[in-house]
Amino acid sequence: MKIKGGYHNRILHVDLTQCKTSVEQVNSEFALKYVGGRGWGARLVWEHMKDDCDPLGPDNIIVIAPGPLSGLYLPASGKTSICSISPTTGIYGDSNIGGMIGVELRQAGFDAIVIHGRSSEMSYLWIDDDDIQLISAAKYQGMGSIETEHQLREDIGDETVKVASIGPAGEKMVKMACISADWGRNAGRTGMGAVLGSKNLKAIAIRGSKDIPVADLPRLVKISDQAYKTLSEHNLFEFWQRQGLMSVIDYANTVGILPTRNFKDTYFDEAEKINGDVMELDYKIGDTACFGCPMACGNVNLVKDGKYAGTVIEGPEYETAAMLGSNLGISDFDAILRGNYLCDEYGIDTITTGSLIGVMIEGYEKGLVSLDDVDGMALQWGDDDNIMDLIRKIAFREGVGDTLADGAYGVIKRWPQLIPIVSHVKGLDQSAYDARVAITMALGYGTSDIGAHHARAWPVAKELEMGEKWDLQEKADLVIYHQTVRPLFDMLGVCRLPWIELGFDENTYAEFYSAATGIEFTLKELLKLSNNIYNLTRAINIRLGMTRSDDKPPQRVFNDPIKTGPHAGKALSREEYENILDIYYQQRGWDNDGIPTDETLIASDLEDVIKYMEPKRKSNEAVKTRK
Amino acid sequence: MRKKLTVIPERCSGCRVCELVCAIAHTGVNNPKKARIKIISLYPHPVIKMPIVCEQCKKPKCRDVCPTDAIVVNDGVVTILEDKCISCHACISACPTGAIFTHEDIDTPFKCDLCGGDPECARACPKKAILYIPEHTLGQSQRLKTALQYAHMQEVEYYEKGVKKKLRYAEVETGGTRGDNNEN
Repeated sequence: MKIKGGYHNRILHVDLTQCKTSVEQVNSEFALKYVGGRGWGARLVWEHMKDDCDPLGPDNIIVIAPGPLSGLYLPASGKTSICSISPTTGIYGDSNIGGMIGVELRQAGFDAIVIHGRSSEMSYLWIDDDDIQLISAAKYQGMGSIETEHQLREDIGDETVKVASIGPAGEKMVKMACISADWGRNAGRTGMGAVLGSKNLKAIAIRGSKDIPVADLPRLVKISDQAYKTLSEHNLFEFWQRQGLMSVIDYANTVGILPTRNFKDTYFDEAEKINGDVMELDYKIGDTACFGCPMACGNVNLVKDGKYAGTVIEGPEYETAAMLGSNLGISDFDAILRGNYLCDEYGIDTITTGSLIGVMIEGYEKGLVSLDDVDGMALQWGDDDNIMDLIRKIAFREGVGDTLADGAYGVIKRWPQLIPIVSHVKGLDQSAYDARVAITMALGYGTSDIGAHHARAWPVAKELEMGEKWDLQEKADLVIYHQTVRPLFDMLGVCRLPWIELGFDENTYAEFYSAATGIEFTLKELLKLSNNIYNLTRAINIRLGMTRSDDKPPQRVFNDPIKTGPHAGKALSREEYENILDIYYQQRGWDNDGIPTDETLIASDLEDVIKYMEPKRKSNEAVKTRK
Repeated sequence: MRKKLTVIPERCSGCRVCELVCAIAHTGVNNPKKARIKIISLYPHPVIKMPIVCEQCKKPKCRDVCPTDAIVVNDGVVTILEDKCISCHACISACPTGAIFTHEDIDTPFKCDLCGGDPECARACPKKAILYIPEHTLGQSQRLKTALQYAHMQEVEYYEKGVKKKLRYAEVETGGTRGDNNEN
């Protein structure tokens, strides 16, 4: 099939060790089979990976891939996936970022960048259409992300240049380091910033001027005009522009899934002090949107007085407000904004940061760690001074921060007594939705290919709505459906929020893709391709040693019943979880150890993967025989 | 009725839908860099996003500096005549707002033509930050701002069914006409 648009069919390879760049022409088969974004990223990671891969070694690659819809005239087309082997988890990792950076890359004529090797000195990559240079970044070493972006633009002499960068945390290979762009958009999860840091790549600056090819532009315009209209007529559209994801605080607290004091509780009695209304009335000074997005979920906020006066930050959104707010017992919105600002400037993920600081506060409160362990800080819920200090210590790897900077695995390794209170899956801290009220959420976290993140599945709302009307198979199917449809957005390079929040018809994305490429696709066909990628990332993880025992949710969901709020007393049963996991594996076509069967891999167009699964299957058999 | 394309930067989210629809309408390609309107985003001091587009000056400086008389005003629309333009770019430097654009694929500078009376950008802006309004209403938002500045926002807290709520209202300073409360 001949692709007539949607792609430049060009990947930029940058070899930092040899200081060389080359352009790979992508054939149509590769383009269409893996779609783009996360799909291309996962495939490229698979092709370059070694079984003994050191995520922070020069052999690991990192792929920055917008999708075939990125930058096109359609709602919220500004998403880019960043994929690699994650230093946080040691398995496949990806994180997506909004803003403008991926669109600019597409305008420069590339569908993806693959970064190989390691630069001998701190450098930045400057892509000015086809003029590509590696330039010393000595000047920017140690600089925060927001400052780096500002400074690079000034030095290049063009305020419209787009910049993705890492802060000091990325340079120090802190395992929750982000890649930041557009002053506050972050590829936050799975430590992608640490991978860039390990490669001595401080930033990527891009300026592009090219057309992004579209097979049938009049058709795309027709569908998109209607799409923008449909969204703008939704009754929550304006509210969404005003509060964005901050409106979720009230929802999460009402239904009892708001992480509170290190996920001990799911209801925060001071939530009304940190919700969307507070932000909108007292702090908001501006709106921001990613490319092409009518919903403008970004909120720029300013602290007007008090000790954090003058703090300006794009954010928080829900996750940040919950993880740096209720999860740390903080009810002062000034402090949340300050924490958000510090995390963004230093370049660390607010979710993991909030989670691990919560662990330390609870650990100290319960006497599981000593005053010495926490550098003499008598940690307390809501004590923002110590919390700000901890954020800085993590970013600069100082004292206790050096351990926290190694992520959930680092914390557990040093203090095994904390295992019961660290909420993570496969080393990635849980995001801001408690799973004790919904087994689907626990299964979603447990089987997510990157660890405990809601990007793959967010079935909690549906399960709460359906109550006990569903059996386990229906619940497992819901999780699989989520894990298929949600990553499709990351493959196409668009944001899923119009679909999730304003009920935008997901079938339209097949129409967008058909108009862009000139090849007719149905949603069903695209979902099949997305499912193939899920089997591929599963295969990467199996190859890197993951087993069924890693597919478990944070232990708190079984051990600690919720204490307060609408779901007091609720916890999940291990037995039921193992049952639903069995069903989930069956439905996915994976064997009882969670390894995709040969039939499943063949059906997923992944014949070349089969031979890597065989030794793993054999070693599982051997373990069983010994038992 | 003469209409004017005007922008309210405070509303702009920087999504660049205006650039996209403009480029598509004028060049038939998906390329915001070929738009006749451009958003400039600054952060963090100050936080501002501003769509820059031709003001259709009545005495245009771009026309005055053009050495080949390639810029004319046609029915209120400042127009670059491509066949006369030598692409010296003098108009770009002369424009007080930077609303004339260039691109390597396009031979002559280009600018807003109001889409023949129904500007795509104003139609498509999801934040209603770009307006196409009768000329006599210009300045209305500044006048509104003046009025709001004159008012001081006040806040009262009250309880409704045990829940604390806030109500905001404006206490208008009357500048001397209400003698009792006038501190001066």
